[in-house]
This record gives sequence, structure tokens and C-alpha cells, in this order.
Amino acid sequence: MHTKSWLSVGPSLDECIKCNICTSYCPVSAVTDLFPGPKYVGPQAQRFRENGQSHSPDMSVDYCSGCRVCNEVCPTGVKIAELNARARAHIVADNGMPIRNKLLGRNELLGKIGSYAPQLANFGMHNPLSRVVADKLFGIARDSRLPRWSTKGTFGDWMKRTQGKRLRAAQKVVYFHGCATMYYEPFVGQAAVAVLEHNGYEVIAPPQNCCGLPMLSNGEFDEAEKYHDHNVEKLVGYARDGFAIVGTTPSCTLTLKEEAPELLDKHDAGSHDLKMAVWDIFEWLREVYEARDLKTDFRRLEMVLPYHAPCQYRAHRVGKPALEIMRLIPGLDVRESCARCCGSAGTYGYKTEKHAIAMAVGQEVFDFVKAQGPEVRMTASDTETCRWQIELGTGLPCRHPIELLAAAYGLYDLENRQLLTE
Amino acid sequence: MRGSRSERWRKPMLDLLVIGAGLSGLMAAYTAAQADLKVRVVNKGLGSMHWSAGTVDLLGYTPAAQAKPVQKPFQAIEALVAQHPDHPYGLLGRANIQAGLDSFVALTKAIGLPYQGAPDPEDNLFLPSPAGAVRPVYLAPQAQIGGDLRRPEPMLIVGFKGVRDFYPDLLAENLAKQGYQARPAFLPISLITDRRDFNTVQLAEALDDPGRRTRLGQELKRLAQPGERIGLPAILGMHAHQQALIDLERLCGAPVFEIPTLPPSVPGVRLYKALRDKLLEMGVRIEAAMEIINAEVTAAHNGNPGLVQWVASETSARPLKHRAQNYLLATGGILGGGFNSDHTGRVWEVIFDLPLTAPQDRSAWFDGSFLSPTGHPVFNGGVAVNKTFQPIADGKPIYANLWAAGHLLANADPILERSMEGMAIVTGVSAGKAVSQ
Repeated sequence: MHTKSWLSVGPSLDECIKCNICTSYCPVSAVTDLFPGPKYVGPQAQRFRENGQSHSPDMSVDYCSGCRVCNEVCPTGVKIAELNARARAHIVADNGMPIRNKLLGRNELLGKIGSYAPQLANFGMHNPLSRVVADKLFGIARDSRLPRWSTKGTFGDWMKRTQGKRLRAAQKVVYFHGCATMYYEPFVGQAAVAVLEHNGYEVIAPPQNCCGLPMLSNGEFDEAEKYHDHNVEKLVGYARDGFAIVGTTPSCTLTLKEEAPELLDKHDAGSHDLKMAVWDIFEWLREVYEARDLKTDFRRLEMVLPYHAPCQYRAHRVGKPALEIMRLIPGLDVRESCARCCGSAGTYGYKTEKHAIAMAVGQEVFDFVKAQGPEVRMTASDTETCRWQIELGTGLPCRHPIELLAAAYGLYDLENRQLLTE
Repeated sequence: MRGSRSERWRKPMLDLLVIGAGLSGLMAAYTAAQADLKVRVVNKGLGSMHWSAGTVDLLGYTPAAQAKPVQKPFQAIEALVAQHPDHPYGLLGRANIQAGLDSFVALTKAIGLPYQGAPDPEDNLFLPSPAGAVRPVYLAPQAQIGGDLRRPEPMLIVGFKGVRDFYPDLLAENLAKQGYQARPAFLPISLITDRRDFNTVQLAEALDDPGRRTRLGQELKRLAQPGERIGLPAILGMHAHQQALIDLERLCGAPVFEIPTLPPSVPGVRLYKALRDKLLEMGVRIEAAMEIINAEVTAAHNGNPGLVQWVASETSARPLKHRAQNYLLATGGILGGGFNSDHTGRVWEVIFDLPLTAPQDRSAWFDGSFLSPTGHPVFNGGVAVNKTFQPIADGKPIYANLWAAGHLLANADPILERSMEGMAIVTGVSAGKAVSQ
């Protein structure tokens, strides 16, 4: 357990004026009595945890989904979600953690293992019997939408296989693909590579690890720190050479930028230099556009597209760059969701005791999609678990905005999720 | 590599960037968007409106007569301005104040949350506070109008057991002490919710459900005596608020009115959400959690004002630049976070470091008495502007493309004057108009 000084997160507690705005916006306490609200489990309960008392007054902080709506609405800048994440880590340090949370935290390992025999792994994980067993034995909700391993190889396999076809250029950008793109949805990475190459950038996809977020949100801080250190080791050289490191998963990029350094109190030069080089891909594309370097040779995409910006975007505090860039595509009528959270909140919605809460929270997003009319064929969102949750709640396919952009460049088949050049 | 990126930036897509999403910022954004400007609002967090009673206080007390609430606000403004010509109301004049209020009233009607004033438009309303004090208010949402203490009907103040933010006994007792006929009553909270714990926003959302309204309405009918009007905590519906009012009055057969509660204040939240939705419909996005931390400016030169080039907000990594043709500062004063201070007594405006009229000597900040009838000098200080709401130094605009509105303006003390929302609305509308011209 970390006992280092609480720098930015801790002192923010004193800014709380108890106005309760956070509680009135919290999407979780709105639907369940099990979570009394951010003010109570955050700044209020924190008073009981300080001065050597590591214990939380109760366990309700575990029901915080980490969506960070509270941080966003707080008028005085209290880092409530981070206070909660640290409190959960204390609980884990005191009481240990269920094997289920360890499993959910090991996204990269699971991805790797399943990729050796994806068909078998998919069958093993997705048949109704194993879902019941996983539910009863581990507490992984049987109705949650688990990902499927890619049966066409990993993203890394594809990069290797197409090495000869990849663009070589003076302008280069480093791609942080994350675990989900690597093992489950390599097509998202392919769309990103296609978009970047179309704009004249050579893409480097160096060896990298899980960002550690699933562990951070389950309170396993020591393990998360190892992953973060590995990433710093592998990527900081690129950062120091002046490369932008872009990612398609806002939760991964947020972890590299802020969550890992802040929650783990990592203020070393490596963490800092990496942080300053990491971008969400649309945050970076928006800069490229502002500098008049983004190609706008779009073909029309005639459709209504409900778009839900994930909570992690909110935490990046960069606005909604994917929305701004998608709105450049002719014919595409992007409708902005103002819903608070889709409910999945990373691994939260996968837990048996929390799945119903997650679905109730997500209802706002599902209702928003429904309200856009029957002609809606698909939706869009940037983070994997949000997409899977929105698909579960609406029955409609949900795409990453980079897939839309690749399709608008004429490079990508949105229906079948593959590059047209493949 | 990124270093090779060209620096020929696009012409800003935005005509106006409003900094701050309180009432003044939103009214300025609305006014500019109505004039077809491309507008965006950035805010640090949600604030002022969630703390407010949701009423529009234009002028409730004057420094000259703190003991007596203002009956006729426009007359009182005239007297105030005669003494303090640089008060923002003095910069505006009656016609502009009236135009700003009219614009707000028309807007609230259009967004389905109509605001009204007293029968005589020269008068203030007198509404009960959550503690049973008398609040001089110029405009109020329809639901609060029925609480006007000049009306003769006796009041039944109904609370719910377990609601921490509303105490009918206290309210009725204090009203009775002041000569108003009022009695308290309680209903079980189970009429509204099955939750173990709740706040006012959650209760209001619960009453969006017609079934719960029916149960409540029937109980109110049982409690009310003929001729009484019923005061309830301001939880009568969130999205279905107007319908909730109609339903409850029909069911109980008596006039029903809301009394604002402690924060989060549902009438303020309703107004914020309705304005936000209207702005979004007009293409104005409110970008949340974006704290503007610095600005790039070119200084005044050869007698010409300077220019704001961009402002930057704090993010998870590097600062994010925001470029617009014009910028409007509506960050509030000390309360809203627009100003900061340190132990030496320095008070400064946090983004542009605009000159402030506040005393820069700590011993001069406060009057000797906490509840001083003339207020504290530090709260009267702020950003001095000209008649078009551009921050000035030596009488001249500092930046050609910077404007300001709301609580940060100098020469007013909206808390002391009970002029908070009125000032926000009329300065916001006027600044928005000035930018559009």
C-alpha cells in the first residue's frame, strides 16, 4: 500500500463547501440506496480516514463507479472520484480483494491467453452454462456484454503482417493501442492507422503494456504501478524524442496522462514526460485540423449518429474533440448525448452485484438514442466498455468515432468493420 | 514529428467564447447566439445557479436603508444610481435594465419555465425564505408566485418527515412572528419516495411520476382547510414541473406554491437545465470542467487597446488553447472563483489579471462589523467596465475583444443589495448585445 504524501488529491478535500451539487448529479446514487453519494463517501468520509485511520466508515465507497461526474460539476475543484479510488485501495489493502476483481483487472493477461485459441476461448466464455458458472462462482454478471477475442489475429499480428504495406514518412506518430484493440477489436486500430497514414503520418506501434486502469479502479494499486512503470520504460524515449503518443481508448490515455501519476503519486521525470506526450487520438487530430493539416477529402456519410462521449473524456478535460471532428463529415448528423454515464464504467457493470445499477444508470443514454428516431442504424462512443454497454442497452451497433472517420475517407467498411484495402 | 507542424492556425471558428456558466454567462451566450454569433461556453464547475433560490432579485435592500426591504426596485435603483453613478445599473440606465429583464422573461416563457413579477411591474414580490424570512424578489418562477406575502390567504406549510433541507415548524413560526398567518404540517416521505436517503433533486425527480403526484395531491386535500394556500418545499417535479403544479392544484383544490430549500436548490437547477438545453438547441455547447488558467494577449500600443489572442484551460496533460474572435468574462467574483486573494491582501482577477477596484490592503477589506449594513469594501470591488461592458483602465478598453458581465463587475455588492440575478441577467444581456454589434 502506498503511504506517500497525498499531494494534489488530498488537499483538494479542504475545498469542499458541502453544497451537494455532486450528490444531485451523481448517476449512481440516483438509482440505488447502496451508494449514498459522492459528498458522503468522498470529502465527508475522508475525515474519518485521515490521521492514520485508514478505515472507511463503511464499504459504500465501493459502489462509486468512478465516472467522475462529481469532479466535473464540483464548483470548487475537489477531486472526489480520486478520493474514492484511494479509499477503495485502502479497503483492498485492509481486506484483500475478491478473485473476480483480480481477474477483471488483468485485461492484458486475459487478452493474451485467449488469443492463443480465440475460438475456444470465445466458446468457453460465451456459452450460457459458463456465464452462469462465472456469475455464481466469481460474481461476473451473466447478462453483461463480455468481449470476444479476435478470430482474425491480434492487432500486433496485423501490424507485423502488413509491415511492407505500411506508410513510411518523415512525420511519425506513436500509437498506444491498449489491450482491447490488441486482442478484441483490432479493426479499431486498423482504422486509426488508416486515418493517420491518410494524413501522411507513419505509425509506430511499439511494445507496450496495459495502462493499469482496471487495476486502479479495483483498488490494486501495487500491481497497477508495475504496469505503469513498464509503460514509462517502453514509451518515454519516444516522448523525449518529440513524438506524439496517440491512443484510441480514452481510458488508457487518461491513465497514462493523469490517473496513474496522480493516484500512485508518481511525480518522477519519466511519468511526467510520458504524460505530456500522450493524446487522445481525436484531441490530437483536432490540433492537426486547427493547424490546417487535416485532410478533409471526406465522402458523404448520410446518417443520424447518436454520439455518447465517455466519462473518461470528461476526465481528460479536453471537451469533445471526436464530436467536433465528426461534425466535419458531410451528411453525418451527429447528435450529442448529454447523458451522464452509460453505466458500464469500465469493469463496474460486469460485477454481479452492480450490473443492474449499471443498466439503470445507462438508461439515460439508451433513452437518448431511442429519442433520435427509428432511422438510427448505429451509435458511436470512444471507449470499448461504453460501446459494449450501449450495444447491450440499445440493440444497435456502436462504433468508435475513428471508424466513422476512416469510413468518411473511403478507407473502411463500417458494416463489416474492416479496411477496404484488406 | 510534431515539431514540424505549421503554425498557420485556422481563423477561430468561434465568434465568442464565454468563460463561466452562471446566469450572466448563459444570458450573454444566449443574447449573442440570438444575433447569429457562433458561441461556446466553458465552465470550471457548476455553481451559482444551483445555490440560488431560482428567483430574480433585482434590488432588495439598499445600502442607505438596510433595515427595510425595497418595495419599488426601479425607484430605489434610481436613488442608488444617483449616489453611485458607476454602479452597473448606472451604466445601463432604466431602458437597458428593462430590456434585459424582458428578454429573460420572454426566454423563460419559450423554454416552458415562465417567470413573473408582482401585479404592478414597479413592485417587488415578497416571498418566504426557507427560514421564514421575507425575501424581496422582482421575478419568480410561476411556482413561487403564490407565496407572495402580500396576498391575504393564510398559509399551510407542509413538510416531509426526514427531509433535512426544509423545516415547516421553523418556517411557520417565523412567518407568524412577522404577522403572517401560517401553520405547519407534516406528511410521510413515503408518499414521494421509497429511498432510505434522498436530496431535494432526487425528490423532485420522483415527483415527475404522475402516480406519486396523485398520492401527494390527495393527502394535501385532506390537510388543507378552505381558503388556505399550501406552501411546499421546492421539489414539485424536475422535468415535469409545470405539469406537477397543475396536477397538484387540481387534486387538492387549493393554490400550491414552492418555497426554495437549502442547496442544491431545485428551482435554480431547473433554470440551469432549461437554459442549457435551449443553448444546445441553438448550437451553443457548454464545455464543462474546463478551468481557464491563462491567456495570451497583445498589449495596448500607441493608444490602441490590446487584443486577447487565446485563453488556455487546464487539462489532464497540457493546457488546451481556445481561440475566438471575442471573449466574455463571467467568472464571478470571490464567491464564483473569478478572483483570488492571498495573505498579503492582494486580490486579483485570475485569468487576465485585470485591474480591480478592490482594496489591496488586507486591513481595508472588511468593515468592523460582520453584518455591516454598508457591506465590506472587498466585496464591492471588481472589474471596472465602460458602458459597453469592456474592462477598462484609465477609462479606455484594455482589450478590444474582451467583455465582462455578472458578479465580477466593480462598484456593486450583489449579496448586500440582493441584486444577484438581476445584475447577472441585465449585464449579461447587455454585454452579449455589445459583443454582437
